[in-house]
Amino acid sequence: MNSIAMQRRRATAARVWRQFRDSRQGMIGLGVLGVFVLIALAAPLLADIRELNPVFARSSGNPQWGSPEVFAPLGTDHIRRSVWAQFVWGSRVSLFVGLAATILTILIGSVVGIVSGFVGGKIDGFLMRITEWFLVIPFLPLAIVLASILGRSVWNIIFVIGITSWPSTARLLRAQVLTVKQRLFVDRARSLGAGGPHIVAHHILPNVSGLILANATLAVPISILTETTLSFLGLGDPSSASWGKTLEEAFVNGAMVRNAWWYFLPAGLGILAVVLAFTLIGRTLEDIANPRLRRGR
Amino acid sequence: MKRGRGRFIARKVLGSLLTLAFVLVFNFFLFRIVQKDPIGSLFRGRNVPAATLDNLRSAFALDQPLGTQFIYYLRETAQLNFGISYQSRQPVWNEIISAVPATVTLVGISAILSAVIGTLGGIIAAWRRNTWKDHTITSGTMVFYSMPDFWLGMILLVGFAVVLGWFPVGGIVDAGSNATGLSRLLDQLHHLFLPASTLTLAYLGEYTLVTRSSLLEVMGEDYLTVARAKGLRDVIVRNRHAVPNALLPVVTLTAINFGFVLSGAIAVEAVFSWPGLGKATADAIRGPDLPMLQGLFLLFSAAVIVFNLIADLTYSWLDPRVEEA
Amino acid sequence: MSEPLLSIRDLTITYHGHGEAVPAVRGVSFDIERGGSLGLAGESGCGKSTLANSLLRLLPAGTDVKGQIILDGQDVLNLSPGGLRAVRWTSGAIIFQGALHALNPVQTVGDQIAEPMLVHETAASDSVARDKAIDLLRRVGLPAARADSYPHQLSGGQRQRVLIAMALACDPHLLIADEPTTALDLMVQAQVLALLDDLKQERELTLMFITHDLSVLTYACQRLAIMYAGRIVEEGPAWDVFAGPSHPYTRALAAAFPTIGDVSSRMAPSGLGGDPPTPGNLPQGCPFHPRCPLARDECLVAEPELRSSGIGRSAACILV
Repeated sequence: MNSIAMQRRRATAARVWRQFRDSRQGMIGLGVLGVFVLIALAAPLLADIRELNPVFARSSGNPQWGSPEVFAPLGTDHIRRSVWAQFVWGSRVSLFVGLAATILTILIGSVVGIVSGFVGGKIDGFLMRITEWFLVIPFLPLAIVLASILGRSVWNIIFVIGITSWPSTARLLRAQVLTVKQRLFVDRARSLGAGGPHIVAHHILPNVSGLILANATLAVPISILTETTLSFLGLGDPSSASWGKTLEEAFVNGAMVRNAWWYFLPAGLGILAVVLAFTLIGRTLEDIANPRLRRGR
Repeated sequence: MKRGRGRFIARKVLGSLLTLAFVLVFNFFLFRIVQKDPIGSLFRGRNVPAATLDNLRSAFALDQPLGTQFIYYLRETAQLNFGISYQSRQPVWNEIISAVPATVTLVGISAILSAVIGTLGGIIAAWRRNTWKDHTITSGTMVFYSMPDFWLGMILLVGFAVVLGWFPVGGIVDAGSNATGLSRLLDQLHHLFLPASTLTLAYLGEYTLVTRSSLLEVMGEDYLTVARAKGLRDVIVRNRHAVPNALLPVVTLTAINFGFVLSGAIAVEAVFSWPGLGKATADAIRGPDLPMLQGLFLLFSAAVIVFNLIADLTYSWLDPRVEEA
Repeated sequence: MSEPLLSIRDLTITYHGHGEAVPAVRGVSFDIERGGSLGLAGESGCGKSTLANSLLRLLPAGTDVKGQIILDGQDVLNLSPGGLRAVRWTSGAIIFQGALHALNPVQTVGDQIAEPMLVHETAASDSVARDKAIDLLRRVGLPAARADSYPHQLSGGQRQRVLIAMALACDPHLLIADEPTTALDLMVQAQVLALLDDLKQERELTLMFITHDLSVLTYACQRLAIMYAGRIVEEGPAWDVFAGPSHPYTRALAAAFPTIGDVSSRMAPSGLGGDPPTPGNLPQGCPFHPRCPLARDECLVAEPELRSSGIGRSAACILV
């Protein structure tokens, strides 16, 4: 990549950051996300991972169903494990699955969308037919069916979410590629003898990367909520403690009847906060990428 | 114009049938890959002679090549024969049918309420843009939309049923109740309140957001200035000129969402032990009761396809600009 | 001698958006006599549409409107909401630009014409209103069947006629035509102008015609007012101003636009380079001086006032 392109890209990034900094909703989102990323990264410092092991918890003499007054800071569950530890370590799983699934979604969606939009013709028709089909199938039942069949592991969940979420990204990307294609410089590049991959890399990608970023940021909440729901229904990885899994265990073991609010409230609040954060960031990025939208906000 | 309209409808219906066909094929092959031995699974843990199992296998055409099995599957599906549930050993179709009314009631009412309340909220938010009303409505619905719907249900359940005791903690009627007629209906409504509130609150955000941005776009249009210039009151301008144009995408959204009615409340039904398709799905997952999952999946998909078709046709009927092309 | 139908004094309109104050109209005054016709000309951004919309108080909320507008004896700027609604469309009506966006896409054309009649009760019932709407459609040259059409089913010229019919629905005294012939092809333009002329005579209308095409105005109007950067820079009888402009801007504008019906003049090169100033960013002194071929040092000192440049004529230029 030559230095002029690099300069331009750096200038665009700087401009985007400046506009982002001016947006209150964007900065709030970024702040909240930052807090949770820190929690996730600093998990070993914040809570002992051994607390997640029921045998360890029992031998530590933790109370059962201990409220936060009895056992700081967030009480204990039905098998004496620290809820705080579950919250802290659960953040890792939820964030990781959310991000990984989104990366998969965006990867598939972008490739399909860009190829479909750029190549056009029969391939476009074929890919769009598949996309339409996926969009019609109810998303959660499909995820449930696939997860049931594939078995309960973190990677399967990531795969299932990615496989069921890519269509809307593909459609969005394809529309954008078609718009970009209509612009003059692509024809000019063609007439200069530039080949397909070159045009895609140097002309299409820079113009859709903003949209991809905004779309990705808004796709993370969907991935996180889907993982939460799938875990709650029992399709999550039994060996990893995501926030959704915490909610499942709380529900199945009667936390609600006992009003053990400390067990299911934190995990849900964590999900709410992270999802809101990504939504705010995503909307801000959308506004920056497409100022016309700002009029409608 | 009528002739073109007929062709338009035919094209859309054909498209839906094609999608349904793909769903059938997908359904068949997906479950066939996993159900290595349906008969064996069905009678797992029971003492059944091998010969009986083999007879059953040939009765269900399970010893035939894949192509023949597919034909068999199509024929059986057409006759609404979806196999036997692993868990209850009853025909899947019966299990599904008995669960449909509870779900349709719950999600139907919630869908209507969230559409109406959400749309009204969106209209107010857009018309009073950037005022405190707008910010409250937009932020509030965004918060509700960002939480897991079943978690909201758990909170409402603990708060209003466990702590305050105003509502029952689950089910559709009080256990062991022999009530009939009006008192039974009231009991059901009493049980319906919390799960319906959960679903309504969780999903009205979508309507608010879509209505708001649609109305904001319309508000920039010149024909609203023209309407004011004619001497119309502000409320009339909003209701007669702005809102009808803004509602077009909302109508489509509503129709599409109704398609998701059947599958929309899986986790929430589980939280409230609401005896509908959602709870059936949640229970089937724990098996895994594959014949049930297969039947449920087919039903859910068919519902979405049908309602997408209705949404398409309704939109084209409402918006005079949609041409036959 | 009766009062003018429209009397504007020191009209100043300032938009407030994104923390900025944008002066779109800066101290405009003129009269239009009953039965008269005034053409208001200028390039985009000169404030003419803002001025037109202000006459019925159609500007966005938060816009600052100062001065005086007397329409049909009413002080428009100080009317109560109810009084304002009563005046709209009955004392004055606007023919908006015929883009698809001026008509409600999901309402039939007939309903849109009939609507103000029902609001102002100039029609006793729905069916009476519909009959009157059909009459108006016929009068503007459209068949009665068109009453049940939707806007997207009509051509640009037809939509423009619908807007004219709609503006006449309540028999207004003042008809404001805002760029009614822009974006129409030449033949249709001529038809629309002829129609407006007929209607004016038939119904004794007072006309205010807004456009950037000077040649159209000389055909349609008795008097002409040229706007630049929110002010009137020349005013006078239409033909005199067009044939012998006093202000350099008018001169350039007249040369830029062809004579209607004369195909060859359409090919003549435009004499005006550069762009009109943005309302928030006016040049020092006379706002036209950066583009003026006759500019001299004195032009940067102060903005010239309108001064007499002939009988019943005035221009805002120090060279007059």
